[in-house]
Amino acid sequence: MKSSPVLDAGPAASAGKGADSIQFSSAEHPQHSPNNVNLTEPLQQNNPRRSMKLLNRGVFLPLLAGVAFLLLWEYQVFHKIFDLKKYQLPLPSAIAEAMRDNFSLLISYTGYTLAEAVLGMLIGSACGFLIALAATAWPRWGGGSLTMVAALNAVPIVALAPIMNLWFGDGIGSRAAIVTATTMAAMAINAYKGMAAVDPLALDLMHSYAAGKPAVFRYLRIRSSLPYVFTALKINATASMIGAIVGEFFFSSRGLGYLLSNSIKVAKMPLGWSCIVLAAIAGVVFYLVVERLEKVFIRWHPSRRS
Amino acid sequence: MKQNNAFMRGRLLPLLVWIFGLLVIWETVSWWLLNVARTPLAQSKLPYVHEVASTLWKYSGTLLKEGGATFGNAGVGFLIGALAGVLLAVLMSLSRTIEQLAFPYAIASQMIPVLGLAPIIYGIVRDEQVSRIIISGYITFFPVALNMLRGLRSVDPSALELMHSYAAKPWAVYWKLRFPAALPGLFSGLKIAAPLAVTGAILVELMGAQHGIGVIMLRNLYYGPSHTYMFWSTVLVGALLGMASYWLMSLAERLAAPWQPEFRPKGGGQ
Repeated sequence: MKSSPVLDAGPAASAGKGADSIQFSSAEHPQHSPNNVNLTEPLQQNNPRRSMKLLNRGVFLPLLAGVAFLLLWEYQVFHKIFDLKKYQLPLPSAIAEAMRDNFSLLISYTGYTLAEAVLGMLIGSACGFLIALAATAWPRWGGGSLTMVAALNAVPIVALAPIMNLWFGDGIGSRAAIVTATTMAAMAINAYKGMAAVDPLALDLMHSYAAGKPAVFRYLRIRSSLPYVFTALKINATASMIGAIVGEFFFSSRGLGYLLSNSIKVAKMPLGWSCIVLAAIAGVVFYLVVERLEKVFIRWHPSRRS
Repeated sequence: MKQNNAFMRGRLLPLLVWIFGLLVIWETVSWWLLNVARTPLAQSKLPYVHEVASTLWKYSGTLLKEGGATFGNAGVGFLIGALAGVLLAVLMSLSRTIEQLAFPYAIASQMIPVLGLAPIIYGIVRDEQVSRIIISGYITFFPVALNMLRGLRSVDPSALELMHSYAAKPWAVYWKLRFPAALPGLFSGLKIAAPLAVTGAILVELMGAQHGIGVIMLRNLYYGPSHTYMFWSTVLVGALLGMASYWLMSLAERLAAPWQPEFRPKGGGQ
C-alpha cells in the first residue's frame, strides 16, 4: 500500500473552503515565526512616512519600558516589592562592574560555550535533516524513526548531561553531544513537515513527467522544506545555547555555565548575572546570524518578497 | 485477516520493530563493552537493559513517589505559566500599545538561555518548591504567549468581516472566532513547554533539594558504579516524565482542537 499524493489531495480539495483555509494557515506557519510577525508587517503595508512613525513608536516604546525597568531595578524598587536583599538580586550597576572586571575571562568562556553550541547544532541539525529525508522517502519505516527522535526530544537535558559526560569525557565533545541530542528533533520534525507540505499539483506534475523519487526530492521536496528548515535552525540556535550551558553546570572546567553555577555557589551573584547577560547576547548574535542566512537562502520565498 | 492488515498498515508495527531493534543493539553493545572491549566503567556507560528494567521494577515505589513530586511541581508551574501566557497573548491582541511594549521583550527573552537562570532563581528564592514552580512557569510562559498570539492573529479575515457585518460584540468575536482559531497555536506552545517544564523542575532538584527524581539521580551518580542501574532508572523515569507531559498535551489537543489537518485520517498529505 503505497501512499499516493493524488489520493491524499482528494478530501482536502473536495472539503471546500473550510478545509482549505485551515491548510493554508498551517502552511503559513513557518513564515509567521515570532521574529518577523508584527515588526515588519506594518512597515510593508503602509506608505513611507507612516511607517517611519510606526517604526519610531515600535522602537521607542519598548526602549522606554526597558530603561524604566532598569531604573526601577537600579533604585531598588523591585527589592522593596519582593523583599529582596542586594546580595540576592544584584543591581545592574554591580553586574556591569563585574562584567568589566572579568572581561577577558568572560569573553573567552563565551567563545567556548558558543563553540560547543554551534558544533552541536550543526551535527544535530544535519542528523535531523537526514532523518526527515528517510522518513519522507520510506514513510512506513522512517516514520518510526521520527517518533523515536521526538521521544528523545522529550528527555530532559539534565538527564542526558551525565550520560553524555560518561560517554564523551568532560571535553567539548560531551556538551556538543548534548546539544546534538536536543537539536535533532526540532529539525527532523520541521524538515519532515516541509517535505510533506508539497503542493499536490506540483507533485502531480512531477508524476506526469514520470519523475523518480530522487528527482522529486531534488527539485520539489528539499526546496519546499527550506522555510521549515530555517524555522528549525532558529529554534535550535536558542535551544543549543541552553543545552551547552546546562551541560556545563555539571561537568566542565570552562564555559559560561560552569562560571555561572560556580559564582552562585560562592555567592558572587553579580558575576553570575553577567554570565547570563553574555549568554543572552551570544544567543541573540547566533540567532541573528541564522536569520541573516535565511534571508540569503530563501529570497525566492513569498514571505521574503516585499 | 482484516485486523492483521490494519495492524500492519498502522504505525504500530514499524515503531515496535524500531524499539525492539534498538533494545537488541543496546544489549549487544553493552555486552560487547563489558566482555570484549573491557572498557572501564562499561556498565555505567551502557548498562544491561534487563538489569535496569529489574531495578526499575524493584524500586518502582520510590521512583513513582519522587517522580510524582517532580511531575506535580512542574505541573503547577506549567499551569500558572500557561495561564499567564494566555492572558498576555489576549492583552497583546487587544491593545497595540501593550503588544509593542511586550513583544520585543518576549522575543528577546526567548533568546536568553532560560534554563541558565535556574541557579540564579534558586539563589534568590532559596526554596526548592517555589523555585521549581517559578522556573517551570517561566519556561512555559513565553512559548504559550507567542504561539497563542500568533493563533489569535491568524483568523481568516473574511470570517472577521462576517462577524463585523453581523455587528458582533468584541467578546463574541473572541469567544466564537479568535479563541477557537488560537487553539492550535496554544497547543503547539504547550507542547513545546511541557517537557521543558519537567526539565526545569529536575534542574532545580539537582541544585539541592529534598524531594524529586533529580535528587535521587544526583545521589546515585555520586555513589558510582555500584549504583549505576539505579542512576539509569532515574534517567529513564526523567525521560518518561518528559514524554508523558508531551503526550498529555497531544491528547488534550486532540480532544480540544480535533479539526486540524494532522488529525485527519489521511494525515497531512504525504
